[in-house]
Amino acid sequence: MRLTLQEDLDQLEAALQEEGELVLRSLRGALNALVDGDTELADEVIAFDDEVDARYYAIEEGIQSLLARQTPVAADLRLVLAILHDNLHLERMADYCVTIAKLTKLVEGIAQDATLLEGFEEMGRRLEEMIRVALDSFATRNLEQAESLVHLDDLVDRANRRVVGHVLGLGGDPERREWGLRMIIVSRCLERIGDHAVDIGEQTAYLVTGEFREFTDASHPGGPPGTAPREL
Amino acid sequence: MTVTDGARMAPVTPELLAERAEVRRDTLFGVEDLRVSYAGVPALEGVSLDIYRNGVTAFIGPSGCGKSTFIRCFNRMNDLIPSALVEGRISYHGVDLYGPDVDPVEVRKRIGMVFQKPNPFPKSIFDNIAFGPRVLRIDGAVDERVEQALRRAALWDEVKDRLKESALSLSGGQQQRLCIARCLAVEPDVILMDEPASALDPISTTAIEDLMHELKESYTIVIVTHNMQQAARVADMTAFFSVKVSDDGKRRTGILVEYDETPTIFTKPADQRTEDYVTGRFG
Repeated sequence: MRLTLQEDLDQLEAALQEEGELVLRSLRGALNALVDGDTELADEVIAFDDEVDARYYAIEEGIQSLLARQTPVAADLRLVLAILHDNLHLERMADYCVTIAKLTKLVEGIAQDATLLEGFEEMGRRLEEMIRVALDSFATRNLEQAESLVHLDDLVDRANRRVVGHVLGLGGDPERREWGLRMIIVSRCLERIGDHAVDIGEQTAYLVTGEFREFTDASHPGGPPGTAPREL
Repeated sequence: MTVTDGARMAPVTPELLAERAEVRRDTLFGVEDLRVSYAGVPALEGVSLDIYRNGVTAFIGPSGCGKSTFIRCFNRMNDLIPSALVEGRISYHGVDLYGPDVDPVEVRKRIGMVFQKPNPFPKSIFDNIAFGPRVLRIDGAVDERVEQALRRAALWDEVKDRLKESALSLSGGQQQRLCIARCLAVEPDVILMDEPASALDPISTTAIEDLMHELKESYTIVIVTHNMQQAARVADMTAFFSVKVSDDGKRRTGILVEYDETPTIFTKPADQRTEDYVTGRFG
């Protein structure tokens, strides 16, 4: 039994889960700041990204050291590679939260549209669920749960499309139009967070099965049998 | 050019990917239900696998799993042990290696062997290489043959000015490459290596591993190694052997657990016992 290797792997996994918790806090903060027009909170979300980045770098360094010293193989190797990818996915999610916070500051003082904000709240709740499912299914090596992320993502994608439709109906007032355009970017950020959660699910599937495959293929929306199209 | 520029952007179909991934393999040795016993006690049993040409095949496994016994079957080295009995079948180019008309000396000429500890003759570097061709009365200029063998074994530049010196004056790594050159001098088809680098330092080990990479273009290489990372680095195919312990705990017999392409063995082995061994969770 290689005790050092097992300890190192356990530490990396724990750090990844912690990073996931930080991303959830970042997402919640970004949504609250947006909905309440709270620019102070938006600043906090932007500053909080340093916490996520610190975790990201620590995991990167841990993986580098583990690969150099332990030469993991088989399931150990797959776990390290999956953590390497998941680490980047989580860090990207946090970056999208920062973008949302920055957009929140840019629209300060402009009248908001309540329906759209409700839509964002709903997308946010779904994304929180997706991130939890992604982290839990990874921790428990639950393939079925990981695959369920595709369906959860469909709901986020649909909400994203509704936002675009709604913004188009906002009318010709320049201030409203500016707000609407910025909200399309917010919606896009949220939608991408969902995609990264699905990507984490794909890493779980790789870890469990040893075969890497995309749950859905953006360039073949009809997809091979058994896959659902995923919005780009 | 645009991305829709048909000819240049031919669609990547599953068929195309399969075609690209396909590896052409020629079977050199076919092993069927092999069983080797010493004085009636089985050391290895139930082994069936194919060894492919122009590749490196590694046998890995814990001590006592029969991997050295197995590799010695390929050039009938076990014939030299009076109590050894080899049952089952090993074919070489489709011919039964243990058939009644097969001359073991001819077998060992075609299927050379390099051992764990370098074992040069206490003769000059030159004579070590020239010995085989002379004994086997192989025609042709000996000087050229010696040079060619030393070059192929990546030793020529280091010894060309001291060919008359004793082979025992060489370093361990050089001695091992000399033994490989000695093996190559009789123009074998296959080189069997039983732990060829386990007595060498890391630099000499790298030299031997690089050499295997060069040699597999022209020869088929079979290697036994305790060093799993070495197998992962050099081998195209890897066979994992393990030990089966009898119910009463008295008999320990080697068995083949899994045989596959090396990347598969080290990324997603099919058998839990292989997984446990390669990840170091064995025992």
